[in-house]
Amino acid sequence: MLFFKRGRVPGARSWELKTGLGKGYTKVLEQLDESLKDLDLEVKKVEPQTLSDYKPGPDDGEEESRYFVRLKGTLAPKEARLCGWRIDNLAALAAALALVVSKQGRSERKELETIIGNKAGRWRALTLMDTFLRSGYLEEDEEGLVKLGWRTRAELDLPSLMMLLAESKAPSAESSEPVEDDQASIEG
Amino acid sequence: MTEKVRRLSGRRELEELIQTCISIENRRFNPFLLDITEALRIIRRHSNQLRTIDDHLLDMRAITSVARVVGLQSANLRFQSSALFVDPSMVQQKLDSLSREQMAEFLLLSWHPIVELEQLTLASTKEAKEFWERMLSFFERRKRLHLGPFVSPDAADFEELARMHVVEEKAYTRKMQDLWKELKESAEKDERVDYWNFIRGSDFAATIARAQLVSFLVTYGYANLQRKGNSMFLVPKARPDPHPEGSPLSFPIPITKEVLIRAK
Repeated sequence: MLFFKRGRVPGARSWELKTGLGKGYTKVLEQLDESLKDLDLEVKKVEPQTLSDYKPGPDDGEEESRYFVRLKGTLAPKEARLCGWRIDNLAALAAALALVVSKQGRSERKELETIIGNKAGRWRALTLMDTFLRSGYLEEDEEGLVKLGWRTRAELDLPSLMMLLAESKAPSAESSEPVEDDQASIEG
Repeated sequence: MTEKVRRLSGRRELEELIQTCISIENRRFNPFLLDITEALRIIRRHSNQLRTIDDHLLDMRAITSVARVVGLQSANLRFQSSALFVDPSMVQQKLDSLSREQMAEFLLLSWHPIVELEQLTLASTKEAKEFWERMLSFFERRKRLHLGPFVSPDAADFEELARMHVVEEKAYTRKMQDLWKELKESAEKDERVDYWNFIRGSDFAATIARAQLVSFLVTYGYANLQRKGNSMFLVPKARPDPHPEGSPLSFPIPITKEVLIRAK
């Protein structure tokens, strides 16, 4: 139930697990978490208030948490490339998330496109924004503001990302690469 | 009269206040830029001038807008006291100065991707099979749409498709090459051509198409665009000289029917 994707969002809701495993499903999940450690995986619980596409009802509490299985450790750049992620896309996602977090969870789409555009080129910024929205890293609300999506809540350690960013130092002039031009963006 | 003027200025003040609150809600300004005491003073000052239902609605909108800003201020304070607080301008500066590799590395160090598998299950396969078996034939379904007698598919040649605008008669690169040749021929005498004369086509749509092709000629180094006062000239190059680092500057040229008439 946790591994197989059913519908748009992977993982399983707590009520689904309760139906399938019974009342003591949390204990089963704890055991599963213990067993997954050897595979460098873990069970992650995402609370309803942080699953932004879910609107809790009056009696909802534990019932509507969602559980995912995610990587316990982190990926090396080479491994990320093997998963189909380009360095540019990772950098663009980092920039978009950092900006949204610094603006307290909501930012204007245009502002994000500009920030991504500085790193990945103007044209690719538009397609990358669509990709991030489609995959659930970002979400657009009724007012057109962009906020963090369910996948970010499930996959990202945001305090760690912000800490790394705040503590970072810019690379020396020789090692910094110029931003790809628009032509490259068109080709890409 | 004074009463009317006072009411109008009151409405204007309230509308400005609401606009400021909306801008704050849209993250254009820091919520603390709004002085809540002053905002409440404005609302209170005009409270005795509320006559019509519109006045009351405006007053209500102003109060709720201010309340939302107070909510944002509260969220801002909670956020500032949390581990996630970083000043947005500082974040922007950092993002501008960091390389793509560094940023990708930061993301990777904080990223624990979800493990998800997609596959056919026995239940979904059964469901698909039943759907397929129950589905009416193509001709049965077509009948329901009342499309008339069925016409068998026919072959269409390239010219016909081009006439229907399904395919382009010429590839874009070919069009560019032809226009470059035309530009070189037009500029044989003076080594340059007036921009507006050159882009002019048989109608407005053709003019826009030529202007777009010219913009690619300039971007890819087939020609230069020179500006002298109010005039613009195209200077073709004997050989294309593309800028590998991209065009050094962007120069938008608005093309309206009025501009074309003026340039005649």
